[in-house]
Amino acid sequence: MHALLLVVVMAGPKGVDAGVQLGEQLPLALLVKSPEELEYKAVTERQYLLVTLLVGAKSAWDRNDWESAATKWEAVLRLPNLPPDVDEAVKRFAKVARERAGGQASSLPALSAAVAEPVVTITPMEAEASKPSTLTVTGVVQGGGSHGPGGAVVVLRRVTGQTPKPKPARVRAVVQKDKRFVPHVLAVPLGATVEFRNEDDFFHNVFSISKPNDFDLGLYKSGAQREQVFSTAGPVNLLCNIHSQMGGWLYVSDSPWFAQADAQGRFSVKAVPPGKWELEVWHEWASQTVKQVVTVAQGMADVSVTIDGDRRAPAFVPDKSGKPRQPQLGY
Amino acid sequence: MRALLLVAVLPFAASAQEAVEEVVVEAPEDEANQGYSPDESQAQEPIRFTGYLDVGFAKATGNGSSFRENDTRAPLDYGNDAFAPAVNSRGEVASTDSTGRFTNGFLPRSVGIGSTPSLLLNTFSADVRVQPRNVPVFLFARLQLMPRLLPTGDVTRLELQQAFGRLSPFKAHEFAVFLGRFDSVFGIEYLENEANLRLGITPSLTARYTTGHGLGAKAFYRVQVASLWSAFSVNVAGTTNGTRIEALVPVSASLTGAVVGSARLGYELNLQKVQVKLGVSGLYGPRNDIRVGAAKQLAIAGDLRVNAFGFSLAGEMLRLIDERGAGALKVTGTTQAELASGFQVTGGWARLGYTLPFTTPAFTGATLYVRYDRRHGQFEGFTQLQTDRLTGGVRVDLFEVLALKAELLLNRELAGAPLVDNDVFTSSAVFTW
Repeated sequence: MHALLLVVVMAGPKGVDAGVQLGEQLPLALLVKSPEELEYKAVTERQYLLVTLLVGAKSAWDRNDWESAATKWEAVLRLPNLPPDVDEAVKRFAKVARERAGGQASSLPALSAAVAEPVVTITPMEAEASKPSTLTVTGVVQGGGSHGPGGAVVVLRRVTGQTPKPKPARVRAVVQKDKRFVPHVLAVPLGATVEFRNEDDFFHNVFSISKPNDFDLGLYKSGAQREQVFSTAGPVNLLCNIHSQMGGWLYVSDSPWFAQADAQGRFSVKAVPPGKWELEVWHEWASQTVKQVVTVAQGMADVSVTIDGDRRAPAFVPDKSGKPRQPQLGY
Repeated sequence: MRALLLVAVLPFAASAQEAVEEVVVEAPEDEANQGYSPDESQAQEPIRFTGYLDVGFAKATGNGSSFRENDTRAPLDYGNDAFAPAVNSRGEVASTDSTGRFTNGFLPRSVGIGSTPSLLLNTFSADVRVQPRNVPVFLFARLQLMPRLLPTGDVTRLELQQAFGRLSPFKAHEFAVFLGRFDSVFGIEYLENEANLRLGITPSLTARYTTGHGLGAKAFYRVQVASLWSAFSVNVAGTTNGTRIEALVPVSASLTGAVVGSARLGYELNLQKVQVKLGVSGLYGPRNDIRVGAAKQLAIAGDLRVNAFGFSLAGEMLRLIDERGAGALKVTGTTQAELASGFQVTGGWARLGYTLPFTTPAFTGATLYVRYDRRHGQFEGFTQLQTDRLTGGVRVDLFEVLALKAELLLNRELAGAPLVDNDVFTSSAVFTW
């Protein structure tokens, strides 16, 4: 996403305090002693309001506060005689922000051209200033059978509207050590690059036949590492073609709001915008994920989710061509 | 009025549509999101119980046998039953009426059952695996209920098919030593000798010579050559009874007391999308089904497996010779014979499979396959029997626990036995836990 750069260059009449700080209050504290200065003040306040709304809307957009962003952009669009380029750029974002805020993106009411001065106030902005833009969702996962709830992956997706995609990230390595994948379960954002590092004194391989995230990184020696990009959401079973006893999991999240439960099942998803969310829990030993709707708001209680531990380890571990390997053979 | 507003959209407007469609948000950095590893107590189950139940159906055309009812030339060994499916390795349907002369519902009980379908419990198999934590030892036992496999043919047999300990003393080397009763090391078909592993239903025409379970010791070593994406392996075994199935040579038969040696040298090419495995196997030692140590058994085989883009090709060629045991009494798994004649067999099989490229949580795989088998076997003093078989089938896997299979066998006697109509349709349902 490209940044919006607004450069305001203002040259005012003598008497204007050069050190005035842009704020969110109107009217501006500008001296008016003549009709020309009154006209000047009106134009300045209009541009000031425009810039303030544009910047505020973009800031709200960046922190996923769709309601505020939509309100501000819609306010911009109500300004009379809006420059066409601004009008065109803002309309698209206003529409999307309104949809994500859960509202109908309808044609915006056109204000009468007779309204010379903007009637939009910044009251909503002031009200939102005291409201936290994001919250932390905490809770506990229970169940998981004899394995316990540890490692469960909790993902939040919007109930209405599209959930933004997570920013692809470089994630810490999954290490192969003592013939184990460490960590055993790792949740990563969609598009993440995961490093696989061999910290054993012998060769390893890592592959998966979990379609469509199947991959094979070949053989690599002690100390070497390989990378793999995961561009499809869902669980990925990690295996080693040499050591059939090795197994691990990646969970690729299509939402930026996810977390993993600790050994006691506790989790916290940070920086979640308020609203209604579908919470989904995946666990290695549960055959089905669990979903429930939560309302993220200030003062919300801890979320409690119970998952099954009904999935058994497969009797046979496949090799990378998908053929079953007999565990008693050890090869 | 010199207020100047420059709204520089760089390059905001042009990319607005893209931005609308591909909104991305950075996931919050959080230590809790750095993965989870269970402690040792949860990392692995020290004891696991697994197993499977295989129920089969079979119907033959003609009279259900490759031999006529009154054909007294039928060698007894052909009545035996590798893997205990509803169809034996000769491609004959087992009869549910097993109260007969010597064995398990196959010849001669199976003669004339062409119009009578058989619905049989093929195998009930239960495994226990014990792997103590932090100890490089693995213990394994497999108990199998094998209906029909007893000399009288009347009684179900419970067989301890395998029971061994495996020691892997070196962490940094793929080296393991096995002691007890274990799988063969000869060829590749032993890798699929259980119904839930086997792609098809019926074992190959040569399975009876390669898939037995030896009592003794074996060792496995493999070295990886990363620069070539390759590995070389060696499997060596010293056992009491060679590699033939229990019904041919019982594991307890070590009548000379000498060890039979067998080995396989293997090469693997493990590319990202293509895997190739080649091997040569050999066997040499006393027959051990007789008391005359001078009579030897020897065998050599070559095998090939290729997996690429959903296709799998596997095949094996075998040459086996039993020297004549002059004047010796021969002990098989089902009977005793007064004559330990010389025997030799040449045979092989090749199978091409294709696995469909899509799965769902319920539909976990489907593979179509076709296999061609051929065997030329000859007991000294008897006519050489030349048999071939074309098999086509499908295997469908559901929910990771259920395999449904169906196959059609086109059996032909090329020489040495009367040409009779005995093509077979068979199906199998295997539930694995």
